[in-house]
Amino acid sequence: MDIRKVKKLIELLEESGIAELEISEGEESVRISRYPRGGTTVQAAPMMQMSAPAAAPALPATSTSSAPLSAKHDHTVASPMVGTYYSAASPGAKAFVELGTEIKVGQVLCIIEAMKMMNQIESEKSGRVTAILAKNGDPVEFGQPLFIIE
Amino acid sequence: MSAPELLRLLADGGVHSGERLAEHLQVSRTAVWKSIERLRSHGIGVQAQARAGYRLAAPVELLDAARIGRDISAGRKAALAQLQLHFEVESTNTLLLEGEHPPPGSAFACAAELQTQGRGRRGRPWINAFGEGLALSMSWSFAETPKDLSALSLAVGVGVARAARRFGAQHVGLKWPNDIWFRDKKIGGILIEMRSEAGGPAFVVIGVGMNLDPSPEALRVIQSTGVSAAGLVQACAVKPSRNALAGAIIDELLGVLRKFAARGFAPFRDEWLGLDALRHRPVNVLLGAEKLSGTAAGIDEDGGLLLDIGGTLRKFVSGEASLRIQADA
Repeated sequence: MDIRKVKKLIELLEESGIAELEISEGEESVRISRYPRGGTTVQAAPMMQMSAPAAAPALPATSTSSAPLSAKHDHTVASPMVGTYYSAASPGAKAFVELGTEIKVGQVLCIIEAMKMMNQIESEKSGRVTAILAKNGDPVEFGQPLFIIE
Repeated sequence: MSAPELLRLLADGGVHSGERLAEHLQVSRTAVWKSIERLRSHGIGVQAQARAGYRLAAPVELLDAARIGRDISAGRKAALAQLQLHFEVESTNTLLLEGEHPPPGSAFACAAELQTQGRGRRGRPWINAFGEGLALSMSWSFAETPKDLSALSLAVGVGVARAARRFGAQHVGLKWPNDIWFRDKKIGGILIEMRSEAGGPAFVVIGVGMNLDPSPEALRVIQSTGVSAAGLVQACAVKPSRNALAGAIIDELLGVLRKFAARGFAPFRDEWLGLDALRHRPVNVLLGAEKLSGTAAGIDEDGGLLLDIGGTLRKFVSGEASLRIQADA
């Protein structure tokens, strides 16, 4: 994975305030995580618990191999609201998108639910889904990155 | 000939001979019989009486645009750009969700006699037997996504409760965020689906399902899904007209949407708290795989549920709240 891309991901993580980011691209994957520094307020809100990190290298970032990767424009889709992330319309239904799915502008990527309002998040760009940053049923924060579209 | 036309003739509950029906609709007796079968396949109880004709098991008040319109105030009616009535749809929400967006500041409304795929949250079915309730949806566009848009969910609950109270309904409350309850039993549900862009416009479809006068059989079916249900009629001294109820809900929601677009959730919060059916009561909240128990302590500014867990307040914007029933023998 291109080092510039990794750098960009780290910046993304820093800006967002989330604790961990995992990106898969073909056979490569990279996981970047950080821990709240002293004095950082981790909101006591119930929505904040993050999924337990799987066995993966932590801090700061590792990349498995190098591949020709360009400075293509990646687009991050962020959550417009606090709520619960759903990858499909109903339990057991097919996910709206998967890694590698080619999407069009206006296509529904996921649902964020808050107070039983089901918000269908549409893609503002067309392209290919190169990263899915939340898992079905995860609580998500306002502005939290959900997808990267290449 | 369509089954809905035939239904309109039978709606009064009187006996209609096959011959007269055929004559009236200008079709053959066989065509009448086929339409009767089609109505029956929808669970509509059409009885055949030897030598006399057909009749409905009970008279039914079919949806009627003019009668619905009577309960919408003139000022608000101007904001209702469209009212569609259908005999049968997959779901009124799906229809509006896939349709055109109304211009900001006005609404489209849609109601149906039958829904083949009435939905609740997360794909749960909404069960509504023919003529015993209401399936109604409204769509609305916000030019700009309001900051506290999630709380629209609660404001809509307030609107539907107001509509119920127009018919003298007593003991109507809201279970967070917006189930309509009569004495701890569900008489109405709301499903809001939306598409929005951060910082841009938002398109919202509000689906309201009401149990008006469910038959014991319908209640048993609903009960079997784990929901304790009742009908609005139980909360009222006189059975509300279906059309008047549809009109009242549309009217109240037009008011709610306009006020919410201008001022957000703040003007609704006190009224919501007054309707809170869980307050000070033992409650469980299911959040993903987690189950939390505490005492309901109202809502915060954004409409999030507050739960007192051993003296610590925890806020929920998502999750399934239910009354914790104390072990009773």
